[in-house]
Amino acid sequence: MPTTVTYPQARIRNFCIVAHVDHGKSTLADRMLQVTGSIDPRKMRDQYLDRMDIERERGITIKAQTVRMPYRPLGDVGDEYLLNLIDTPGHVDFSYEVSRAIAACEGAVLLIDAAQGLEAQTLANLYLALEADLEIIPVLNKIDLPAARPDEIAEEIGSILGVEPASIIRISAKDGTNVDAVLDAVVDRVPPPAGDADGPTRALVFDSVYDPYRGALVYFRIVDGRLRRGDRIRMLATGFEGEVDTLAVQSPDEAAVDELGVGEVGVLAAAIKSVESAKVGDTITRAGRDAAHVPPLPGYQEPLPMVFSGLFPLDSDDFPLLRDALEKLRLNDASFTFEPETSVALGFGFRCGFLGLLHLEIVMERIDREFRIPLVTTAPSVRYRVTLTDAPGEDGLPRTVEVPNPQDMPEAGRIATVAEPTVTARILTPKDALGPIMQLCEQRRGEMLAMDYLTPERVELRYRLPLAATVTDFFDQLKSLSRGYASMDYELSDYVEAPLVRVDLLLNGDPVDAFSAIVHRDDAYHFGRTMTERLKELIPRQMFDIPVQAAIGAKVIARETIKARRKDVLAKCYGGDVSRKRKLLEKQKEGKKRMKSVGSVEIPPEAFVSALRVSRDG
Amino acid sequence: MGRLTAPDTADAGTPARGWLDAPLESGSAAGFGVYLHVPFCHHRCGYCDFATEAVGGLADDDRDALLRRYVAALERDLATQAATVGERAVTSVFVGGGTPTLLPPDLLARVVGLVGRELDVAADVELTVECNPETADVDRFAVLADAGVDRVSMGAQSFDAGVLAVLERRHRPRRTAEAVALARAAGIPRVSLDLIYGTPGEDAAAWRDSLAAVLALGVDHVSAYALGVHANTPLGRAVAAGTVPAPDDDVQRERFDDLRQLLRGAGFVHYELANLARTDALRSRHNVLYWRHGDYLGVGVGAHGHHDGRRWWTTRSTARYLAALEQDVADGGVARDASGRVRDVTEEERLDDEARALERLLLGLRLAEGLHPRDVPPIAREALESAVADGLVTTACGRLQATADGWFLLDEAVRRLTA
Ligand SMILES: Nc1nc2c(ncn2[C@@H]2O[C@H](COP(=O)(O)OP(=O)(O)OP(=O)(O)O)[C@@H](O)[C@H]2O)c(=O)[nH]1
Ligand SMILES: C[S@@+](CC[C@H](N)C(=O)[O-])C[C@H]1O[C@@H](n2cnc3c(N)ncnc32)[C@H](O)[C@@H]1O
Ligand SMILES: [Mg+2]
Repeated sequence: MPTTVTYPQARIRNFCIVAHVDHGKSTLADRMLQVTGSIDPRKMRDQYLDRMDIERERGITIKAQTVRMPYRPLGDVGDEYLLNLIDTPGHVDFSYEVSRAIAACEGAVLLIDAAQGLEAQTLANLYLALEADLEIIPVLNKIDLPAARPDEIAEEIGSILGVEPASIIRISAKDGTNVDAVLDAVVDRVPPPAGDADGPTRALVFDSVYDPYRGALVYFRIVDGRLRRGDRIRMLATGFEGEVDTLAVQSPDEAAVDELGVGEVGVLAAAIKSVESAKVGDTITRAGRDAAHVPPLPGYQEPLPMVFSGLFPLDSDDFPLLRDALEKLRLNDASFTFEPETSVALGFGFRCGFLGLLHLEIVMERIDREFRIPLVTTAPSVRYRVTLTDAPGEDGLPRTVEVPNPQDMPEAGRIATVAEPTVTARILTPKDALGPIMQLCEQRRGEMLAMDYLTPERVELRYRLPLAATVTDFFDQLKSLSRGYASMDYELSDYVEAPLVRVDLLLNGDPVDAFSAIVHRDDAYHFGRTMTERLKELIPRQMFDIPVQAAIGAKVIARETIKARRKDVLAKCYGGDVSRKRKLLEKQKEGKKRMKSVGSVEIPPEAFVSALRVSRDG
Repeated sequence: MGRLTAPDTADAGTPARGWLDAPLESGSAAGFGVYLHVPFCHHRCGYCDFATEAVGGLADDDRDALLRRYVAALERDLATQAATVGERAVTSVFVGGGTPTLLPPDLLARVVGLVGRELDVAADVELTVECNPETADVDRFAVLADAGVDRVSMGAQSFDAGVLAVLERRHRPRRTAEAVALARAAGIPRVSLDLIYGTPGEDAAAWRDSLAAVLALGVDHVSAYALGVHANTPLGRAVAAGTVPAPDDDVQRERFDDLRQLLRGAGFVHYELANLARTDALRSRHNVLYWRHGDYLGVGVGAHGHHDGRRWWTTRSTARYLAALEQDVADGGVARDASGRVRDVTEEERLDDEARALERLLLGLRLAEGLHPRDVPPIAREALESAVADGLVTTACGRLQATADGWFLLDEAVRRLTA
């Protein structure tokens, strides 16, 4: 039975919880669900809003989630408020989810782990919220931990936000201490939504998800006006028109409603065949003659893929399956891209773009888990910009090309300059680890932009780094140099010229395209040597000696030899047990069929997987 | 697809399956053997993954009772299988283990006489018994000689005390020489020694010394195997754990090259990958039967049999084996399955032509003489050309043979030929 309760604008509060990874956002959301009585106690489980298997297994939030909670502050008889909460992910790869959430809210709970203190995403998310003019409610979490230093950390936050340290709410999301105080603060301090209740309908699309039965499910926040089930709607940017057949709220499970008013958050379905027609950032209005005159809402910047990798089926027969899998995944994740790619060594596959390494890992894990297609993935690469020495283009300017794949690097003679994408990184570290971390940044060709002592103990470093550095083991190094205490956040910055070269790996004189990499000239030798040594380990010996070379153009910079195999026979076949021997050979023959071949060299697909895994570690 | 066609068969209208139906040397043309397995050992060596059972820890009476039950079961097993054989005369018998010479002399005599009591035996039958140097003694050799055993195969493994220790062998090098002398004194005409090479810790000199010791003993046959590491053995686990280095392929190849050079120099014929004999006549007929894809019965725990593309094998568990063979059915025999084998403890598989072709090659090419052209299964032309071009096999003398290099790369050769 659809509920019909709509709330007066003045009693609606839209807020999100933002924080660094693991500071307890989803756990706080759990407690809020309980305190507000929004959830059946029998259904409760930890991090209730982390619904995807992969989120639950990894214990992280990937997709933002909204939930609607009625709340009556103690003693405030009669006045029930409607709280719309958005739980957000903490990981940098998914920071666009935080931006979307912020655009749908008037307030943000900034959660800080009282043992960890300020971290890079704490600041990054804080700045996003401030830019959007949200009311910030700082909250110290995990005060139950023996290692918690609430006083010290309250000082830190106080000085950054310019608030009284004593006014910062201290909670334990785990045991529930003071969670009601956070809800009360939301009611008291977050302003109600400002929109025009009687104006033409405008709703901001902040997420869309594909559902095989109902088509795209569109998550929206009504900025002006209202929406009813049965309304005919129009998407201003894509021009899609259709009838709302489902209107619902999440509280926290989907509950149908007949109508939603200004400031409310909900989800609708309108037989929308693809998420392409329901773009995040679009504005929903009511279809009709006036629709054309409705000014669109500001919307969002679409996140751009920054990291590229080739995905190839281990077994080439799986190519069509892989294409289907990628198409299906994309329905729910518009932030990753793919296009067909062919490799001499690996056959047919796809070059895919991701927001970062974690995003890449998650997509691969989903392919493995949901579609069970064994994959080889090439080392992650960034998109280079190459200026050519060729004749200028029509506009009279030197021609440039974008190169997301090392294989497509033009030959040296045609290259005037190569530029690589950089990021500005914010690194927060205890001052003890400052020296080693600065050294690491220099090593990875970082350029220091700023250094600030946030407190006597905690330093904020700003570096310009090649984006390529972030797709290696940089982050792991950062963590290990600081015993886990340093954190990093980054955003894409300019393209910068650098002396970059493509290193090719050759087996028996034939280049193996999948192993080519673009590296800094100074790192080329080291890279070449490591890769030739590893390939020597990984590629089984064959009937003839195989030279393994690393080369820049025609110049060989490293060389190893895989010696010809001299034994390949089971010397014993005892007691007439021929079956075992035959089965072994049959199995080996099967294995041989799966071999990828480069020239006359046969390479087991697993060798690609391992070689490419190690090459990622820098 | 091109086929390997020998000049004399191309025109004769030989049926396509001639290599199976009318072979000249292989398959049914190779003879008919019986393998009898005695699984018991005093101690199970660290590298061993055969069907063996250590009985060193049992009290004398218990062990005696167990051995007696086993020999009785073996008798029923052979009797059951003999009923399926028909008129065929046995050309070779091999009693292997385990350690057959762990049996007390009376039981040993019963086992050795078993085939003669149940089956027709060719006049020139070869009768081999495997023995370990430390268990062979005057009494047992006398029993063997009396029963007509004309060949013993002795597990020498090495003449280097260090290598023997790594292999967990319980005899000293000198003991092998004594055992050989005892066998001869008892009147057993042919003595073969088993060797293992490429054991971790064995260097080139130790291996050559072992070979020199073999030559000094004047035996007429040698089987030499590269140490194989099996995952489910103590050695396999030690290698996996990194406490013992894995045998190195290149080193094993060097040992193999030393083996053939030294023994050929001393006049031996290297007739099979792992077997050398002083003369052609002294080749192990039973082993040649295996390599020629021949038919044989397998009797006892873990034993394998083969007949015309059907393979069967018995459980490796002594307990299950005894239980099945000690159970009487109404007519007094043991329970049998549709093929006449002992029920519940025997598994079998029937091979299709493709599997049989693979076997024909993987077995036949182990012999230096290779396969007679008429016995060679169909091979795709490109497959043959690739194996020949890479120097794995040759057809130069009209027969299909492994080359000197291809012999130690035989698995690759066979994969190529059947690709
Ligand atoms: N001791 C203690 N642990 C807490 C508290 N709040 C959260 N945790 C634990 O901190 C870990 C991370 O909690 P989450 O709620 O998943 O953190 P999150 O901020 O949602 O993480 P992401 O979504 O990945 O950014 C979990 O193991 C929680 O059990 C708290 O108040 N006290
Ligand atoms: C079944 S075993 C003989 C058993 C007998 N009890 C003995 O050890 O002397 C036959 C021969 O196979 C060889 N052999 C056994 N295990 C081996 C292994 N793992 N690698 C190489 N050769 C092996 C040994 O030379 C052994 O003598
Ligand atoms: Mg979370």
